[in-house]
Amino acid sequence: MRPSETEKIKKIGEFGIRDTGLVDREMLEVVLNDRLGKKVRVKCNEDDTIGDLKKLVAAQTGTRAEKIRIQKWYTVYKDHITLKDYEIHDGMGLELYYS
Amino acid sequence: MANRTDPAAKSIRGTNPQNLVEKILRSKIYQNTYWKEQCFGLTAETLVDKAMELDHLGGTYGGNCKPTPFMCLVMKMLQIQPEKDIVVEFIKNDDYKYVRILGAFYLRLTGTDVDVYRYLEPLYNDYRKLRQKLADGKFALTHVDEVIDELLTKDYSCDIALPRIKKRRTLESIGSLEPRKSVLEDDFEEEEEKEENEQIDGLDNGVDERDYYHGRSPIRERDRDRRRESHRYRDRDYDRDYDRDYDRERGRGRERDRDRERDRDRERERDRDRDRDRDRYRIREEKDYGREREREKEREGRERERRDRDRGRRRSHSRSRSRSRDRKRHGRSSSPKRRADGPDEPKKKKEKKEKKDDGTDHPDPEIAEANKLRAALGLKPLKL
Repeated sequence: MRPSETEKIKKIGEFGIRDTGLVDREMLEVVLNDRLGKKVRVKCNEDDTIGDLKKLVAAQTGTRAEKIRIQKWYTVYKDHITLKDYEIHDGMGLELYYS
Repeated sequence: MANRTDPAAKSIRGTNPQNLVEKILRSKIYQNTYWKEQCFGLTAETLVDKAMELDHLGGTYGGNCKPTPFMCLVMKMLQIQPEKDIVVEFIKNDDYKYVRILGAFYLRLTGTDVDVYRYLEPLYNDYRKLRQKLADGKFALTHVDEVIDELLTKDYSCDIALPRIKKRRTLESIGSLEPRKSVLEDDFEEEEEKEENEQIDGLDNGVDERDYYHGRSPIRERDRDRRRESHRYRDRDYDRDYDRDYDRERGRGRERDRDRERDRDRERERDRDRDRDRDRYRIREEKDYGREREREKEREGRERERRDRDRGRRRSHSRSRSRSRDRKRHGRSSSPKRRADGPDEPKKKKEKKEKKDDGTDHPDPEIAEANKLRAALGLKPLKL
């Protein structure tokens, strides 16, 4: 059985809480906003890197992946680190800038 | 003030020529020290001096996207907009390769489609090396013709989006351009001729042997196959010889090899005669149809092998014979196999279609679309 399934069952068993959709910790949806009119929702895996996320955003917005810069306040996210390591959760909003 | 385009400059593709470079990159160039110090008040002549000092090309590099001097000079050219003949002079000059590339790049940005093809295609023959600065700050090796190819085929180079030009085929069909004649065409033709001549020479020695051996119809009807076969035969021989020579040369001197080669050639001729005799026997037998032919061949083959082993000349015969035997075997076995596979294959195909690895056939259309995009980008499908 996949680990996510065992987690779900544990939850239901321990607290009697119903599983609510995307809490399986594998796929998540991130919102990127550039405050100039571009707001993009991207579905991705938690083990995707920021570079992969940039490619997905580029495909949706039409800019080039190399030009995109993803930030959270003053933290510029690096290309080779995964979303899981940055603790980016489902539904989180990120800032979209261009370089 | 220093950043305004020359008021006498024409607009390119409907806009200020400097707008060919996008806003962010433009601002980066204006803030660059090289631009501020060296590119102030440049004219066409002084620009040439600066261009001669270039030693690498590239777009932006580093974490904060610093532009290279090459970029700054391209920007300057867009600002002052030199005449077309000056740009062509840049391209035609042979001494300074970076000046050439600079001119080519500028022409690609501002020139008409026909001009672009006409002036950039001759540069395909330039094989000189260039130094290119990559986005991480390191240098890479590239060549003039590679860069020209990028300019003509891709739509993004050195961090500038290149304007769209019509494809060569379209221009040819309109008639503005002639079909492309590669300089290598003459070389290819020469090589083809050489090959044909070699094969014809090689055939005089090996013709009889090959024909009898495979029991084929007369020479005239199967020219091409023969040529191909002799070619293959020659290659195999060469490989064998080469390996043997290489192994031997390592251990001992070369003089002995020469002697051995001479001996080998003499042996080969003797073997060829023997082969022809044997094969003539075989052909008479082949005239009788049926499996008896096969059996006899095998028997003869075994006898021949024994003979060879006795004399210690197993080389070419057994190999070529086993090849022909293998071919016969393959010829027979292929058909029954295919028949057996028939009913199984469609079942396997159906199974595969039902379970795609991409997840592009997920019932939820959003997820299916997302997976399609991910597959196109080379990413794994979404984990659900």
